[in-house]
Amino acid sequence: MTDSTDTRSERPVSERCFISEAGLRDLTADLLESGTEVIAPVAEEICASPSAVASAACRMPGETPVEIEYRRLTDAAELDVSRGLPVLSLKGFFLPEHEALFCWEQRGTTITIKPVPTTFAPRVVLAAKPCDSAALEIVDKVMNWGHEDELWNGRRAATTIINLTCPSIDESCFCTAVDLAPDSTKGADGLLIPVEGGYLFEPSTDRGREFAEAHKRHFASGCGGEEHRNRQAEDERAAARTRVAANLEIDAASVRDWIDTHFEDPLLAALGARCNGCGACTSVCPTCHCFDIIDEQTGVGQGTRRRCWDGCQSRLFTLHASGHNPRDTQGARYRQRLNHKFAIYPLKFGEVLCTGCGRCTRVCHAGQDLVEILAAIDVAARRPGTTTSPQEDGGSSAAPPAEEQVAS
Amino acid sequence: MNELRDLARQLLTDGTVRVIIGWEDGRRGARPVFITDPADADKLIFDTRCAHNLVTYLDPRRDDVVNLGRIGIVVKGCDAKAVAGLLREAQVARDDVVLIGVRCGGVLEEAELREALELNADNVAPRCYGCDNREPALVDYLVGEAQPEPPRPTMTIDERVAALDELPLEERWAFWSEQFSKCVRCYACRQVCPLCVCELCVADKTRPQWIEPAAHARGNVSWNITRALHLAGRCVGCGECERFCPVGIPLTLVNRKLQEIVAQRFDYVVSDDPEKPAPIGDFRLDDQQEFIK
Repeated sequence: MTDSTDTRSERPVSERCFISEAGLRDLTADLLESGTEVIAPVAEEICASPSAVASAACRMPGETPVEIEYRRLTDAAELDVSRGLPVLSLKGFFLPEHEALFCWEQRGTTITIKPVPTTFAPRVVLAAKPCDSAALEIVDKVMNWGHEDELWNGRRAATTIINLTCPSIDESCFCTAVDLAPDSTKGADGLLIPVEGGYLFEPSTDRGREFAEAHKRHFASGCGGEEHRNRQAEDERAAARTRVAANLEIDAASVRDWIDTHFEDPLLAALGARCNGCGACTSVCPTCHCFDIIDEQTGVGQGTRRRCWDGCQSRLFTLHASGHNPRDTQGARYRQRLNHKFAIYPLKFGEVLCTGCGRCTRVCHAGQDLVEILAAIDVAARRPGTTTSPQEDGGSSAAPPAEEQVAS
Repeated sequence: MNELRDLARQLLTDGTVRVIIGWEDGRRGARPVFITDPADADKLIFDTRCAHNLVTYLDPRRDDVVNLGRIGIVVKGCDAKAVAGLLREAQVARDDVVLIGVRCGGVLEEAELREALELNADNVAPRCYGCDNREPALVDYLVGEAQPEPPRPTMTIDERVAALDELPLEERWAFWSEQFSKCVRCYACRQVCPLCVCELCVADKTRPQWIEPAAHARGNVSWNITRALHLAGRCVGCGECERFCPVGIPLTLVNRKLQEIVAQRFDYVVSDDPEKPAPIGDFRLDDQQEFIK
């Protein structure tokens, strides 16, 4: 599960092309010039305001004045291949916080439905985080389960995604524990690997190769044969993987089976008390995709049917019209989140509904720590019949002892 | 620290309470902890990282906490004001909870740290400046050493509110529109607020739908304004709504402005005296009501 050997590195070197910092910026300018939407992480002021006074008043002392977010670029100069983790994942560009599904108009007994467009202009995401692109491919499955979601699929089809190798952010990253890596290209069309003076670009799909072909004038001529850059790239990737793997190692299959068979386990029940049910975790999560559908009356005899992000941590999420709520406690709601991500989705679609980005842990000021919880479940799964409170187990040693990893 | 741990151990051992809600050292910093075994009392800590207002766990609708049994809870001064709010509004009974007050000299703005830091103008939570309740009165026990006053932040909340107030209306509106546009409607602000304890929040009412759930301008403005107004004269200024907001909306500025208005119009400052009625639950013949024409 956590084997870090990566067959991608054995691909012919000729597929890799060097692009300089300036080349990448020129490429971005070309895209924008041609009217292609370009989305990239941008470091922006938290308190952006046309008013300097308001901006200063809004800012906290000691606070990092900028936060990183994926944004639509308006100018190539904005491209600041920042390597931090955006606060919100890429999800909103495929499943917006709210979007119209259709509009309706009623005159007498005649109801007219006005559909919304489901085809989208081509766009490019540059320097996406591997944990964010992977999430899209994972969520593709549920978005095409029975009903094919035209809006999701339309945006997916229109978007070329180029990842940037992640250096690993902090102690909450655990992509390697869920079969991903900081240099994964899952859900992406190519990968940029920072090397001296620029990046090595490695396409991972035909669309990625076509992208490189279409913009080849910005790449160094005669791709490949740059031994020192290749070595540098490999070192960079291996180091990032090692850093993330040190945070957490689990056996995802055992965790899945344990959660699936321990619905009433005290370990899970104990997680409800601390959780404030605030739903920040589901909002920032790249794989949480639940939505609510509402009707907005926009005038007499007309309205919009709209879908909005929703999340399983709110009481209302499962409240029945009868007043009954099958998940009436926060413990039941938090268990559901773990269950959906690490048991239900893997059992149904063969994939963990989590990319190890760690956003849920970072955003939780109550200290509900998924790294620690998964480590505790992993320990419980390896010792049948026993449970360990994550509070007791995970505090000092998130990863289980090395000998247990070997034993599995 | 030992005083706190010894007291918690004693209260659990003699059966006065079944659980102590306090703070512990977690993997990423201080965080809430629920101690049910006296042997775990040594996990308790109190330092400048203990920002979490634990009183949100006293919401009688939190079954996971209620089921743990009679609660002893560690409170800072601002937290004690929240307890008083719950008492005023008959959400908890004073005898149902044991309050362990801690003398507090302020907390850090960025509290997720492995080690506590000494407070200074750059790292102190601005809400702590000028705190009038560093030694809470509404408690059964008061522990810890006397603490110095929290340092003055580089720009106080009052100064920031005043700066915004001086802006022309259009600019102020542009500022808040921009801030509220970031809202993703996760309702973290509501969930962590110790005073947001409604059986059914107005934002969750669907028949009729008072507040649009979509995160567009209409929905976001109506949610954020409603949240603020429902806390007028009730908000204790603990700042948890802002701290939990995943997208960084400066809610403390809204709350402080409301506190200012309530102080002016109703001569009321939130305290930890539960006997002093809040404007929302009180009627006085001398209330200013010149706005009723």
